[in-house]
Amino acid sequence: MRRADQVTGIIILAFSLAVMEGSRRLPPSGTFGPGAGFLPFWLGALMAVLSVMLIVTANRRPGTAPRDPLFSNPWVLAPVLFTVGGLAAYILLLERMGFLLATALLSAFLLGVVERETWSKSVLVAVLNSVALYVIFRLVLGVSLPRNAFGF
Amino acid sequence: MDPLGIFNDLLLGFQIAFSLQNLVFCFLGVTLGTLIGVLPGIGPVTGVAILIPITFGLNATAAIITMAGVYYGAMYGGSTTSILINVPGESSSVMTTLDGYQMAKQGRAGPALGMAAFSSFLAGTLAVVMLTFIAPPLANVALAFGPPEYFALTFTGLTLVTSLSGESMLKGIMSGVFGLIVACVGVDAISGQERFTFGNIYLLDGLGFIGVAVGLFAVAEVLVNLEEPLKQVFVETKLSLRGLFPNLQDWKDSLGPIGRSSLLGFFIGVLPGAGATIASFMSYAMEKKLSRHPERFGTGAIEGVAAPEGANNAAAGGAMVPLLTLGIPGSGTTAVLLGALLIHGLRPGPLLFQTNPDFVWGVIASMYIGNVLLLVLNLPLVGMWASILRVPYKILMPLIVTLSAVGVFATDTNVFDMWVMFAFGIIGYLMRKLEFPAAPAVLGLVLGPLVERSLRQSLTISHGDLSIFFTRPISAVLTICALLSLCVPLARALWRSRRKPAAVRP
Repeated sequence: MRRADQVTGIIILAFSLAVMEGSRRLPPSGTFGPGAGFLPFWLGALMAVLSVMLIVTANRRPGTAPRDPLFSNPWVLAPVLFTVGGLAAYILLLERMGFLLATALLSAFLLGVVERETWSKSVLVAVLNSVALYVIFRLVLGVSLPRNAFGF
Repeated sequence: MDPLGIFNDLLLGFQIAFSLQNLVFCFLGVTLGTLIGVLPGIGPVTGVAILIPITFGLNATAAIITMAGVYYGAMYGGSTTSILINVPGESSSVMTTLDGYQMAKQGRAGPALGMAAFSSFLAGTLAVVMLTFIAPPLANVALAFGPPEYFALTFTGLTLVTSLSGESMLKGIMSGVFGLIVACVGVDAISGQERFTFGNIYLLDGLGFIGVAVGLFAVAEVLVNLEEPLKQVFVETKLSLRGLFPNLQDWKDSLGPIGRSSLLGFFIGVLPGAGATIASFMSYAMEKKLSRHPERFGTGAIEGVAAPEGANNAAAGGAMVPLLTLGIPGSGTTAVLLGALLIHGLRPGPLLFQTNPDFVWGVIASMYIGNVLLLVLNLPLVGMWASILRVPYKILMPLIVTLSAVGVFATDTNVFDMWVMFAFGIIGYLMRKLEFPAAPAVLGLVLGPLVERSLRQSLTISHGDLSIFFTRPISAVLTICALLSLCVPLARALWRSRRKPAAVRP
């Protein structure tokens, strides 16, 4: 945790400096009282101080073990990355593929590849899930869901 | 406000809550809540966040009745999982595993489940009664609040939540400040100036609350669970309705603890920052201390089930008090509820009782009805909930991911909101890995605009003089409370680390 906290602290420090710089360009005070840049600037400053505290105290803060690996082994990350990638592909392709197809594919991918369920079961659950969501959102709630060139 | 007026208002509330539509949604809410409570790996925050887009088209009263039902319904369901498979269905049911699972192993799963349901019902109902009589006078007091008081109040709420959530207070505060920074994105409501929009038209309105909340809770929760698959070991039990009723001795042992845990849970729920989970921990500890046979705790004592289950339900009722009267949520779930209220165009706070009495009282009355529905759902049907536990999490995961994504898309039918959900899903996952609590971030995001407005209005009134927060009595007390809640834990941590290494918490 120690190393992780130090790295996080540095990233957050950079983020807070960016926030402060961005707020500095906004008018600091309006016609009456503080302006649009007032709060974000001071929040950025506060965050910068906090991140320095995080870096400095990373070694002696109670509750954090000195060497506690973030991941028990690198393989546990595989399903996480697959899920994140699948979701990104889904969002990218949703409007081109249409709701029904894209949702069924994503569900099948998550079940079959990430969870290693048998393919027959994955496809069945995927189709049912996609249709059920279509019924709830399109037919019951009346949301217009994306359709592909073939009209579904 | 006189009690008679409250009765009149409550009667009006029942009229609204008993309309067919609201009854149906109350039933839906508590059923979903029980389901979410029973299933480990999906909590009430996630449930409420996913429900916002689904209930988007309803009127505000029906929507909030449903979501509140999910919140307190989850408190009932969590115990079933704790007792039968020794895995807490919710974090608020962790303490129930200690004695509940032992009882199940001794063949007394029935009385344990039954007592959990009765205790939840009694404490939950008592909490709604207290809510009914405490909320209106509190709202009346809060009517006198000006911008400085309001700022001090939100500030206090934020600091209490951040200092009480999670192991490291520093990380809690950072999470809260992060939420406040995120809230600054979009057009500034006072000056009309664009902030951090990077020329993106979708960002003019700010980052969509639904996308952020669903990402931080639902998506992040799924990703974390992927790493550590849940192990489930069943205690085989035959559950019959008659076997669920605790015997006379059980009742004798439990009535005192139920009464005490209702009071304790309610008041912990009212305090911002400490929710159902802390309430259940504290009431278990209290009963163990008060008991004449403390050695029985942990070996299958029925008080060990009755007390935490009562406390977490009472806390859920108590948490509605600051939410409805002051507009200050005390926990992650109520922060999401506040976001939902704002989306429906309601501004929680003292004025809500005057401008929207039908809404407030409709929701409060529905909680009486919901608790009765939950007792019925959880006693005769407990066998059904137990069999749902056999549905593997594998199947559930794709359903949660797709439902979240579609729900976020549906609110504004644009893909940008899904990217917001995606980004905050990853941020939420990293936050959990690095032990930053997510609740303060959502709280900061929801309260951000209100904090900013009251802060800038106050400073405008005082011509930039910060002493305005200390010269008005109510605001002075609140500001000092907030500063104390920031400084005391820090001082205590320093004191403790100097004396000896921090003791391991249970």
